[in-house]
Amino acid sequence: MARVRRVGKRWWVGAVGLLALCVAAEVQPAYSQQSVAVRAGLVKGPLPADDPTAAAWATASVSEFPMSPQVHWPVRITEVTAKSVKVRGLHDGTTVAIMLEYSDPSEDPDDAAALEFMVGDTKAHFAHGQPMAQVEGGPVNIWYWKNKDGKGSDLGAKGFGTLKPHSHQDVKAKGVYQAGVWKVVFSRPLNTEHVAEDTQFKPGEFGSIAFAVWDGKKMESGQPKEKGSEKAISSWWYFRADAPPDYSPYMYALLAVGLALGFEMALVRRLKKGSGA
Amino acid sequence: MGGVLIRPIILTVCIYLFLKFIVPVLPHSAPLPSSLIFLYLMLVMSGAVLFATLSGESKDAFFQPILRFLTGESGGALSSARYLVLALFPILVGWQTYGSTASSDAPPGENRTIHPAPPGEYTGLSNPVPKTPENIMYGKGLYASRCAPCHGNFDGKGFAAAGFTPPPANFKDPTTIAMLQESYLFWRIKKGGVGLPVEGMPWKTAMPRWELEMSDEDIWKVIMGEYDGAGQKPRTWDESE
Repeated sequence: MARVRRVGKRWWVGAVGLLALCVAAEVQPAYSQQSVAVRAGLVKGPLPADDPTAAAWATASVSEFPMSPQVHWPVRITEVTAKSVKVRGLHDGTTVAIMLEYSDPSEDPDDAAALEFMVGDTKAHFAHGQPMAQVEGGPVNIWYWKNKDGKGSDLGAKGFGTLKPHSHQDVKAKGVYQAGVWKVVFSRPLNTEHVAEDTQFKPGEFGSIAFAVWDGKKMESGQPKEKGSEKAISSWWYFRADAPPDYSPYMYALLAVGLALGFEMALVRRLKKGSGA
Repeated sequence: MGGVLIRPIILTVCIYLFLKFIVPVLPHSAPLPSSLIFLYLMLVMSGAVLFATLSGESKDAFFQPILRFLTGESGGALSSARYLVLALFPILVGWQTYGSTASSDAPPGENRTIHPAPPGEYTGLSNPVPKTPENIMYGKGLYASRCAPCHGNFDGKGFAAAGFTPPPANFKDPTTIAMLQESYLFWRIKKGGVGLPVEGMPWKTAMPRWELEMSDEDIWKVIMGEYDGAGQKPRTWDESE
C-alpha cells in the first residue's frame, strides 16, 4: 500500500519527463535544413560593396545552393564546373550587396556570374522569365558580371532571346579570384526609379532570386567552355534584406507574462477563498 | 491523489506519440503537420474532460485534485510541481505571444499543386502508337538522350538534377506516373514547365517544352518507354471512374 502511494505521488515526474520528450521531438536542429533563402543583414558601418575580401563579409550569414547544368532550352550543356554557390548578403538601408562565392579551377577572361530577380508582384518563370502558356508571367531583372568587362551590367528579359541591357545601369559588380575561388560582389540601391524594369527590395520582405555561373575556360576550339545558355544555373530561391531590429515583440511578450501572472494569482486566490469557505 | 488525472494524461501522451511517431511509418502514410496533431490532442483532452464531468460525483473527483494542486493543499512533492506549473504558465504565454508577433525568418510557404489539371484538349487522349517492343525501345532511346540527364534511371536522380527544386520526378515512385494517365504525361512533356497553370506556381520546374524538339509520335513513344523502364502501368479510364 505504501508502495502504491509513493508511485502516486511521483506520477507527475513521469508526466513532465514525457512532456519534455514530446517538446524535444518537436525541435528540429537548424543545421539539418538545406538553404532556401539568402538573408542580407543590416550593417551600420560602410558596406563592402566593392571589396569581396572585406572582413565585413565574414559577419554575413552564408547560404549554399546546388547548381545544375542548363538543360531547359537549347543550346544545352550536360556538365558544368560550378556544382554549388555560396551566397552572402548585406545592406545599409540604402544599398544592397550580394556576394557569390564558387570554385573554378582557373581564372579566365570569360568567367562570368549573374543574379536573377523577379520584377514587381507578377511571378516569372526562372528561365529568363519565359512566357507561360496559360498565364501571363512577369519580366526578370538580371545582374551580370564578366571578368574581362570588370563591371556589372543591369539587364532585363521576358523570355528567351529578349535579354537586353537596361537604358539605365544601376548595378555595380567586382570579382576577385583567389586560390581557385571566385568571389563576386554585386551591389545596387535597394530601390530605384525604374520599378517596371528593376527589382525593388523592401526590407523584411522575401523576394525570389536565382543564380548563374559560366566557366570561361578556353577550349581547344577557341571557344569558352561555358557561354550563353551553356551555364550552371539554379532555379528560384528566396532573398530578403533584413528589416531594422524591432523590439516590440519582446514588449508584447513581457506584457503577456505580466497578464498571465496576474490571472494566475487571482485564480489561486479565488480558489483558496472558495475552498476555505 | 492524482489517480483520476493519470489516465487522461497517459492517454494524451500515448496518442501524441502514436500520431507523431507511429502514423508516419504506416504504409501509404506521411508525417502529420504539428497543427493537425495539436488539433487531435485538443479533441482528446476535450473528450477526457467531457467524460470526467458527466456526473457531479465524477466532476468533483476530476477537479478536486486540480483544485488542491493549484491551491497548494496537496503538499509533499506536488508543492514543487505546483511552483513549476505556476512559473511555466506565464513563460509559455510570453513565448507564444513573442512567436505570434515577431516577424518570421521563414520564407513564404508554397502551395504548389504537384499535378495541376491539364487543359481540356489533353484530357482522355489515348496513346495512338502501337505498344510494340520496337516502339518501346525507341522511346527508351529518346528517354536516355532527352530525359535521363535529369530523371536518371527513371528514379529522378540524373546527373543534372542536383540544382533543381522541385527535383525531377521519380517515375518508380508509385505516386508519380503510376497514378497518372498517359494523356497527362503527354501534356507535361509536350508543354513543359511553361505549360503549367497558375496553381503550378512558383514555376521552378526546368522541364523543357519538348514540342519544339520532338514530334507528338516521339513523345508518345517516350511515354511508353518511361512506363516500361520504371516498371509502372498508366492509370486508365476504367480505374479512374
